[in-house]
Amino acid sequence: MSSKVTAGGRRPPRTGRSGTRRSGLGRLGPLPWIGPAVLLIVVVVLWPVYEMVRTSFLKISVSGFVRGWAGLDKYRQLFDEPGLGSVITATVVWTVGVVALTMVLSLALAQLFDQRFPGRRVTRWALIAPWAASVLMTAIGFKWMLDRTAGVLNTVMTDLGIIDTPRDWLGDPATAWPWMMFVAVFVSLPFTTYTLLAGLQTVPGEVYEAARVDGAGVWQTYRRITLPLLRPAFLVGVVINLINVFNSFPVIWGMTRGGPDSDTATTTVFMYQLKSSDIGESAAMSVVNFALVVVMVAAFLKVSRWNQEEV
Amino acid sequence: MKKRTLVLAACTAGALVLTACGGGGSGESADGTLTLKLVAADYGDKASNSSTVYWEDLAERFEKANPKIKVDVQVVNWNDIDTQVKTMIQSGNMPDVLQTGGYADKVADDLLYKAEDVLSPATRDNLVDTFARAGEVDGVQYGIPFVSSARALFYNKKIFADAGVTEPPKSWDDIKSAAERIRESAPDVIPYALPLGPEEAQGESLIWELGNGGGYTDADGKYTLDSDANVETFEWLRANLVEPGLTYGNPAATDRKTAFADFAAGKAGMLNGHPSLIQMSKDGNVDYGVAPIPGKDAALDSTLGVADWMMAFKDRGHQEEIRKFLDFAYSKENTLKFDEMYNLMPVTEDTLREMTSSGKHKDLEPFFELLPKASFYPLGDTTWDAVSAEIKKSGGTAVGEDPAKVLGDLQKKAEQATADQ
Repeated sequence: MSSKVTAGGRRPPRTGRSGTRRSGLGRLGPLPWIGPAVLLIVVVVLWPVYEMVRTSFLKISVSGFVRGWAGLDKYRQLFDEPGLGSVITATVVWTVGVVALTMVLSLALAQLFDQRFPGRRVTRWALIAPWAASVLMTAIGFKWMLDRTAGVLNTVMTDLGIIDTPRDWLGDPATAWPWMMFVAVFVSLPFTTYTLLAGLQTVPGEVYEAARVDGAGVWQTYRRITLPLLRPAFLVGVVINLINVFNSFPVIWGMTRGGPDSDTATTTVFMYQLKSSDIGESAAMSVVNFALVVVMVAAFLKVSRWNQEEV
Repeated sequence: MKKRTLVLAACTAGALVLTACGGGGSGESADGTLTLKLVAADYGDKASNSSTVYWEDLAERFEKANPKIKVDVQVVNWNDIDTQVKTMIQSGNMPDVLQTGGYADKVADDLLYKAEDVLSPATRDNLVDTFARAGEVDGVQYGIPFVSSARALFYNKKIFADAGVTEPPKSWDDIKSAAERIRESAPDVIPYALPLGPEEAQGESLIWELGNGGGYTDADGKYTLDSDANVETFEWLRANLVEPGLTYGNPAATDRKTAFADFAAGKAGMLNGHPSLIQMSKDGNVDYGVAPIPGKDAALDSTLGVADWMMAFKDRGHQEEIRKFLDFAYSKENTLKFDEMYNLMPVTEDTLREMTSSGKHKDLEPFFELLPKASFYPLGDTTWDAVSAEIKKSGGTAVGEDPAKVLGDLQKKAEQATADQ
């Protein structure tokens, strides 16, 4: 009994320890809970970014053997590439063009799908199709439809008399760009439309009623009420599309591989082309790409003052 | 608790790093058997004719004859093999024996055994001379040729007959006039298929440049990508085939496989092809003829030869075992089996004699004659892989507006690659 008491007498220090432990845990706060997620981010996001930046400063032989530090040589080499200027111009046109077209078309589509009409459910489902299909698959599908000898689109256009003879659409940059932009818009529409549709459905009906009572016209209502209230959804759509379209690799790679030469390449595809001759230079291009995306999105958010609710 | 989380984190990170780094090691196990690691390209196009079947059978027979050596076979398809080998090299997990498309870049990093160190003299003497020499870097042979192929002009006999062209073209002017007649008699046919797309721009370009006495290097092995003869070649192609519409509208975006498929479908009049086009043409019921490559003034007596290579890595130090394995793999029985399996051309004297005289390979006969006279890419130049990648990417655009500029840019890149060595 007394021994038990003695044993019990030892308890206070132990409880003391467990007390510190508890307060230690308390001090950690939510860390143990978000720890795995943080670890995941470190391993799959931060570490690759670090490796990418490091690789851009390395000299790596074609066989994959690291030959040492290259300093800024790979960046210098990259900016000396004769094709880089036109690739960057093309990237800007591509990104702005595809995003702008997507947003405009999606606004119209979202408005349409917000109306009640017979068959709305089916058409809403149908809109998901380009989204659900793999982008690469869609791109390859269009590549074959546009094929010079066997392409169904070529045949249809010839039969309809739109063109005289089948054309090699994707072989010539002048015709390849519009087709690739078409496909890029096609695959971007579903997501954007659904984002805007979700935004439209949050606009309370009373607001429209009030507008009607005040005698606002259809166009006026749209401009003064729908668009401002749609702003958060619209901005989300633009930002996500900017990133997606800028990084859009499968559409271009699937259809032209950036060729001939780099005439139909954006910076992302150009980076991939460089990979076959110089990994270091390719990594330098990736770093530049990464910086471009960050700058572009930051600039857009600043211009659009995204965190201000009021216009 | 905190400690445990840390340990867990460290373990997870450690595990990730470990899997990323992978194997290594000398491959010797406790009972004294040693494992050779073989990595080879897949020449098959489906599971039943995959090269895995060939190599595993060969490995099994080799292991029976050499009980102390095991062979670990890894067959990788052509699209991925370069990347996979690069990863193996980067992570220090090198194979002992590698069979793939090029070797010289690995010599630059001093990764390979010399051929004489891993081949018995008999096996070495048995290699066809031109190919053995194409395996040399600065006079020392590292690359061991494995299979080869050579190019010749294929033409569609029916299309030629319909156009009233009686014999295959010998000179560039012959090509042009034959193409013009084909254009008239069969407007839907591509008269001459000129594939300068990224798949193999370096091949088609060199064939044409050889026809004008040009090429990629001079006698000293210096790059001459923008030599006058080469620029003139592309100017001729632009003015006589591309602009008059006697070939594809966009040669720089047209790959060889498209050209081959068009020929095999009877949609192309003539093109430079290699032996695999024989079977394709037969499958497409195309009555084809084979002729020497036309040059500017007369048919060439040489041609472009292409070889795939075998090489042995020093990293794991298995020189003796590699020698045994390669001697076994290069025996007539085995090389003949591989060449016949894929209709490829041999690189060893005994197999070449056997295939020439057996009468079983009538189709390949025009090519057998060309083999000993073949010209090659500058394979022994350690910068060739990088330069070749650049030519694949932009070389085809030389048939566009400004051949001199395109070739000049390429030459600059080649010189830079040489300077970086």
